[in-house]
Amino acid sequence: MDLVQLEIEEHGAVVIAHVRGELDLAGAPSTGEAIGEAVPTSAHALVVDFSGLEFIDSSGIAMLFNLARRLGSRRQELHVVAADGKPVARVLEIVEFGRAAPIHETLDDALAEVSADGASG
Amino acid sequence: MKELPELFDLRVKARALAYLFEAGAALAALTLILPHDQAFQDFELSVVIGCAVVIGGLVYWGADRIAEWHLHVALVAGVALLSFANYYSTATLYSLLYTWAALYAFYFFGTRAALGHLVCIGLGYGLVLALRDPPSPEVRWLVAVGTPLIAGLLVVRMLDRLRAKQAESEERARELRESEARTRLVLDSAPDAFITLDAEGVIRSWNRAAERIFGWTAAEAVGQPMRTLVTPPEFRDRHDERRRELVEGSGSGETTQFEVELERRDGTRFPAESTVSKVDVRGEILLAGFIRDVTDRRRQQDEREALLREQAARAEAERVAEMVSGMQLLVDAALAHRTLDDILLDLVARVRAVLDADAAAIYLAADRTLSLAAVSGGVPEGQVAEPVPFGESFAGRVAADREPILLQDPAPGELPYPALEELGIDSLIGLPLLAEGDVTGVLVVAASAPRHFTADDVNLLRLAADRVALAVDHARVYEREHRIAETLQRSLLPERLPRLPGLSVAARYLPAAAEAEVGGDWYDVLPTPSGGVGLVMGDVAGKGLAAASMVGRLRSALRAYALEGHAPARVVEQLNRLIWTEEDETQMATLVYVVVDPVAGALRLVNAGHPPPLVVADDGVPQFLEDGGSVPIGVLPFPDFAEVSVPLAEGATVVLYTDGLVERPGEHIDTGLDRLADVIRGASTDPQQVCDRVLRALVPEGGAPDDVALLTLRTIPMADEFHVDLPTEPEALASVRALLRRWLGNVRGSEQEIAEVVTACGEAATNAIEHAGAGYPFEISGRVEGRNVEIVVRDFGAWRSPREGDRGRGISLMRALMDTVEVVPTSEGTTVRMQRTLQEQDANGDPQ
Repeated sequence: MDLVQLEIEEHGAVVIAHVRGELDLAGAPSTGEAIGEAVPTSAHALVVDFSGLEFIDSSGIAMLFNLARRLGSRRQELHVVAADGKPVARVLEIVEFGRAAPIHETLDDALAEVSADGASG
Repeated sequence: MKELPELFDLRVKARALAYLFEAGAALAALTLILPHDQAFQDFELSVVIGCAVVIGGLVYWGADRIAEWHLHVALVAGVALLSFANYYSTATLYSLLYTWAALYAFYFFGTRAALGHLVCIGLGYGLVLALRDPPSPEVRWLVAVGTPLIAGLLVVRMLDRLRAKQAESEERARELRESEARTRLVLDSAPDAFITLDAEGVIRSWNRAAERIFGWTAAEAVGQPMRTLVTPPEFRDRHDERRRELVEGSGSGETTQFEVELERRDGTRFPAESTVSKVDVRGEILLAGFIRDVTDRRRQQDEREALLREQAARAEAERVAEMVSGMQLLVDAALAHRTLDDILLDLVARVRAVLDADAAAIYLAADRTLSLAAVSGGVPEGQVAEPVPFGESFAGRVAADREPILLQDPAPGELPYPALEELGIDSLIGLPLLAEGDVTGVLVVAASAPRHFTADDVNLLRLAADRVALAVDHARVYEREHRIAETLQRSLLPERLPRLPGLSVAARYLPAAAEAEVGGDWYDVLPTPSGGVGLVMGDVAGKGLAAASMVGRLRSALRAYALEGHAPARVVEQLNRLIWTEEDETQMATLVYVVVDPVAGALRLVNAGHPPPLVVADDGVPQFLEDGGSVPIGVLPFPDFAEVSVPLAEGATVVLYTDGLVERPGEHIDTGLDRLADVIRGASTDPQQVCDRVLRALVPEGGAPDDVALLTLRTIPMADEFHVDLPTEPEALASVRALLRRWLGNVRGSEQEIAEVVTACGEAATNAIEHAGAGYPFEISGRVEGRNVEIVVRDFGAWRSPREGDRGRGISLMRALMDTVEVVPTSEGTTVRMQRTLQEQDANGDPQ
């Protein structure tokens, strides 16, 4: 049983990365790399789903910022799903990740946002 | 009276008588021819003369065949004829003839016969005188008889003397002959050849033994030069030389003995012993020699020498065998916890004793330099020998030449150490100690008079040197390997056990009493990401370096797998895969891996062929965890490792151990297990005390026959304070969180608060891991006072000042999540002190 589990799901032009378990220094770098590789240049957006994530620390945050930079340079969108009130959301709030990418309550919210952007864009 | 020998033979006597007859007849004829008176009766006288001439002629011619009595008869007849002639003539001449007859009788006959004839003559003459009328017959009778009597007696006396003299000389001659015969007999019957030579070396006598020995008869040998007859050509000059020396030598009768080789008539040669003396026989120099064939003696001597040699060889072989077995014992002893120094001292003393040497020394070589490693004999305290470079001094030359050297009368500088000079060492042997072609050292033995080393000693010592080299090599290899293995093993056992909140752990490791090699036992205690603690007790098959290095790999791998958060069965599977893919297919290990989860109050267990762990409940009742057993790792490629979960109440003790604790030779393992259970039953529950008690009760005096490892753990209530050391590995972060969650659960904080404290603490730990010096653990300690939680994270690395970006976010997080955060960098490391006051909780855990 690894501490962190990653599951990639492709939803049309949207790549969804479900990250579960605990994300710390031991797992964050490799997880970030795996997610980055899973997003083709053709993809429109990446949704990182932290619904099942129990813990995140600055390493996990660094991973998210790196993904945001990478996608931004390719004009791809990044959406993060983290339920309010959970430790993960609290950490994202503290580091003000919302300024880098939108944070959604649920996966559906995130997907709706992506579709809307895509529809409008 | 001894009969005197006859002086004359019959022929001489007969001829003398014949001459007497003819002379008488001639005288009578003369009186007849010459003018004579008338009273002569010429005719009768002529007849008498004729008779005398005839008888004389008969006696003369029959002299060769005549007998003694014929002479007596003839003489009596002659006296009768003389009487007749005297009667027929008156001449006084006849008294002269009577005297002749008497002289003849006395001269040629024995005294008794002569007197008989004298009586006969007297009767004849008396008768003539009586018949005729002589002028004074008495006077004439006296004159006629008295004259021949006196003359006869004188003749007899003279003859007696003559005869006695002759008898004496004949006796001497006879004795001489007998003596010669005896000597010849002795010499002929002697077993040795007796040969006499003259000064020129010509053989003068040759006895029967000489005939037998040489094959030449005396007749053939005598007159031949000894030089050519029996002396082999190559020895002839020497023969001449010796002969000359003997002949010219001063002493007579002195004997000289030679060992020579001589030749028989048939050309075969034989070794001989020649005893020669010079003899001076009336001015003539002779060499008399006895020659003895010593072939047999030589053969016996050779056989005796061969026997002696064989006995000596056997004794030597036994001695060597004894020595070799002694050395073998030492080699064996090298495997029983003995240091190289001990072994060398034993070897050097033994070599000295075996060779009966006065001193012995062993040098060990390193970097082409010899250092004196052990000495025996005459060593004063405090003398330090200088190292000897190869090629210098005696030992150095032996090492450089790689050949034994035997040195007589060494200079003081050649001696291994100065004290030997005082022993009067005058003979040294040095041998190189060779191991796989390399000079690993030099063995030197020294002797003082009367012991003197010879080439034989060198050969004997060669055998010893081989053994010594082997023993030294073994000991060296062993010592090196042992040192490495010991270091390795020490490094593999936890230097100190982690202090884990809610858990008390103790461990012991006892190396086997008589074991030179390091065993493959190991244990480990590691925090798991789930907040529990992993206990490992393993035993790699085999000993020594290979086992120790296998332990090292298994230990690292197990830690890695465990810290990744794998379940125990999965961890053990990974280890099995690791050991299975080893090149050395014989590698295997038994292992028990227990993960204790104090929060859940349970333990999870995988047992790969190891003795079962023991759990003692709080009430002191021991119970072996027999479930969850499977094969040892390294035996099957894909075995199924069963994982069992066992409830573990607070206050229970878990005991792990290796078979060395419970297994005894000739005893069923259950007996050992029962003994362990008995010792632990009702014992104190403090792990340290449990360990001491178990070892005291189960390890025999003087140590166990095998390595013993023992690990005990007890769950204790979490205290208000904790302190833990953790490895500076990212995987330890999960342990930190699990530990903090469990501890903070005790403090009854809200879920949100606990998560925030855990996150802050994780940031501090991440910093410690990223910046601390590799290999150093970092420490986390916590303290609760009322609602106030204080956590200190301390590392021993160089702190980098917070910078913007990822690391800066860590600090920001800490500050955001805690009430106060204090970072204190020092030269030894960095301490992060964080504090937060938790909100009051109601019974439901909700903030009030």
